[in-house]
Amino acid sequence: MYGFEAMTFNIHGGYLEAIVRGHRAGLLTAADYNNLCQCETLDDIKMHLSATEYGPYLQNEPSPLHTTTIVEKCTLKLVDEYKHMLCQATEPLSTFLEYITYGHMIDNVVLIVTGTLHERDVQELLEKCHPLGMFDSIATLAVAQNMRELYRLVLVDTPLAPYFSECITSEDLDDMNIEIMRNTLYKAYLEDFYKFCQKLGGATAEIMSDLLAFEADRRAVNITINSIGTELTRDDRRKLYSNFGLLYPYGHEELAVCEDIDQVRAAMEKYPPYQSIFSRLSYGESQMLDKAFYEEEVKRLCLAFEQQFHYGVFFAYMRLREQEIRNLMWISECVAQNQKSRVHDSVVFIF
Amino acid sequence: MVVDHETPSLENGQTDKEVEENANVLQFMDSMDAYLTLIHSLSSTLRRGWLELASARHSMGASRVNTVLLDHTSHPAATSLLVTQDEGKVDSGKPHFTLCKWASSSNENSLLGEKQSSQDKLHPQLRHRGSTELYEEKTSSENKASREVDDPVQKERSKSLSMFGTLVSPKLRAAQLSFEAALETLVEIANMRSEMLCAFDQVNMKLEGRKDEK
Repeated sequence: MYGFEAMTFNIHGGYLEAIVRGHRAGLLTAADYNNLCQCETLDDIKMHLSATEYGPYLQNEPSPLHTTTIVEKCTLKLVDEYKHMLCQATEPLSTFLEYITYGHMIDNVVLIVTGTLHERDVQELLEKCHPLGMFDSIATLAVAQNMRELYRLVLVDTPLAPYFSECITSEDLDDMNIEIMRNTLYKAYLEDFYKFCQKLGGATAEIMSDLLAFEADRRAVNITINSIGTELTRDDRRKLYSNFGLLYPYGHEELAVCEDIDQVRAAMEKYPPYQSIFSRLSYGESQMLDKAFYEEEVKRLCLAFEQQFHYGVFFAYMRLREQEIRNLMWISECVAQNQKSRVHDSVVFIF
Repeated sequence: MVVDHETPSLENGQTDKEVEENANVLQFMDSMDAYLTLIHSLSSTLRRGWLELASARHSMGASRVNTVLLDHTSHPAATSLLVTQDEGKVDSGKPHFTLCKWASSSNENSLLGEKQSSQDKLHPQLRHRGSTELYEEKTSSENKASREVDDPVQKERSKSLSMFGTLVSPKLRAAQLSFEAALETLVEIANMRSEMLCAFDQVNMKLEGRKDEK
C-alpha cells in the first residue's frame, strides 16, 4: 500500500538504496565541468578525471588518448557499479534493474544486424556493443536473414522475445525494416517497463510513471523530427509512438502530421511542461532541442532522489551517469577538435 | 633620338610584352589568392562538419554513429570525379576536374529499382496478426499523406546516410551537407591549383625569355 514503504523497504532495498545514493554523491559537479572545459588536450582531461571516481579506470591508458577510449572507460565504471547492485538485489528490484538495460540490448541487436548487413566482421561489431546490453547468444545474431529467423534462432530466449510479436515478418532485413524494428521494439519495451512499474505501485509507480512518460514523449518528438523528409508514412510514424505519456493520444495525432519543426513546436506548445522547453528555442531551430530535453530530463531525475524508499533512484542514477558520460564525450570531442568555444552547446550540468 | 620600331611604346610607357607579363603575374597572384581562400574555406567547412558529426553522435548515441556501421558491401559510388584535359587552349594539357555528384550511371538504374521497391515499402512494414489483406487495404486507403521523396538528390543523400539508420538526426544530415560542400571545395581547389601552376609556368617562361634576351 502506498505510503507504507518506510516500514518494509529497507529490509530488502535499504542497503542498495544507500549504495546508489553514495554513488550519486560521486557525480561530477559544475566545478569539475568548468575545469574539464578549460583543458587543452585529452591528456589534461585524463589528469583532471584522475582526481574523480573515474581515476582508476583511466590511469593505465597510454597516450595519445582518444575520445572513444575515455567514453569506454567511463562506461566500464558504470557497468561495474550496475553489476554490483544487480548481484546484491532481490526480487522485484533485480527485475527492475534488468529492465533498465533492455534499451541497450535493443541497440546492440540492431548494431549487430545492421553491421552484418553491411558485411562487417562480427568480432568488430561485438567490441562496439554496449556492455550493459550484452547477452549470451548475441554473436549468433549474425546468421539471421529476416526477423522471423532473428526471433526463432536467437531472441526467443532473451528478455526481448515478448517485444517481437509486433514486428515479426519474413521480409529480409534491410535498412528501413531494421529502423522500424528498432523503434517498435523500443516502444514495446517502454510500455512493458511502464506496466511493470505500475504493478509495483507506491512511490516507485508514481516516480517512474513520470520519468517513463517523459521518455516516451521525447521519443515521439525525436521520431517526428527525424522522419521529416523521409519515406516513413504518417501511419507508420504514428505506430512508432508509445501508448502512454502526456502526448498520448491527442499530441500523437498532431505530431503524426507534422512536416517541419515549426509544426512540431506548435503541437508541443499546447502542453505546459514542453512549452517551457520549446520557448528556449528560436523558430525553425532544432539544434538545441536535444540539450533542452536533456536538461529537463536531468531536472526530473534529480527530483527522484528527493524521496526515499522507491526504485526510481536506481533508474535515475543510471540515467544521470549516462548523461555524465555524454558530457565527457562532448567535452573530449571539443578539446580534440580544438573547438572549445562550442563546449557549452551540449554539456548539461547535473548539479 | 633613336626610335625603336620593334617595340612600340604605349601611352603609359609600357610595351605589349610588359603588359602581357604583368597580366600573367596578376593572373598568377589572383589564382594564388583564390587558392588560399579556398584552402581556408575548406578548413572551416571540415571543422564544421566534424563538429556536426560529433554532435550527431552525441544526439543519436555511439552505437548508431559508429565506424562499424560503414557499408563494406560492393555498391556503386554515389559521387565520381571526372578528369579531362583542357584542349584547344593556349595552356592545353591543363587537367580539369569535375565532380559528378549523385550521378553515377549505375545510380540511375538503381534509382528506378529503388522507386519500385520504395513503393512496396510505403505500405506498412508492421504486420498485425490476423488478416493482413484487410489491414493492407485499410491502410492504403487511409494513407493519403504518404511521402515520396521527389528530389532524386535528396533520395541519394538519404540512401547514403541509411547505413546509420533511416531515422537519423538533423545534425547528421547537416554533417553530410558540410562534407559534401567540403568535397566540392576540394575539387575547386584542384582546379584552382591547376590554373595557378599554369599561370606560374607562364610567368616563369617569360622570365627565362627575358634572361635569354639579356
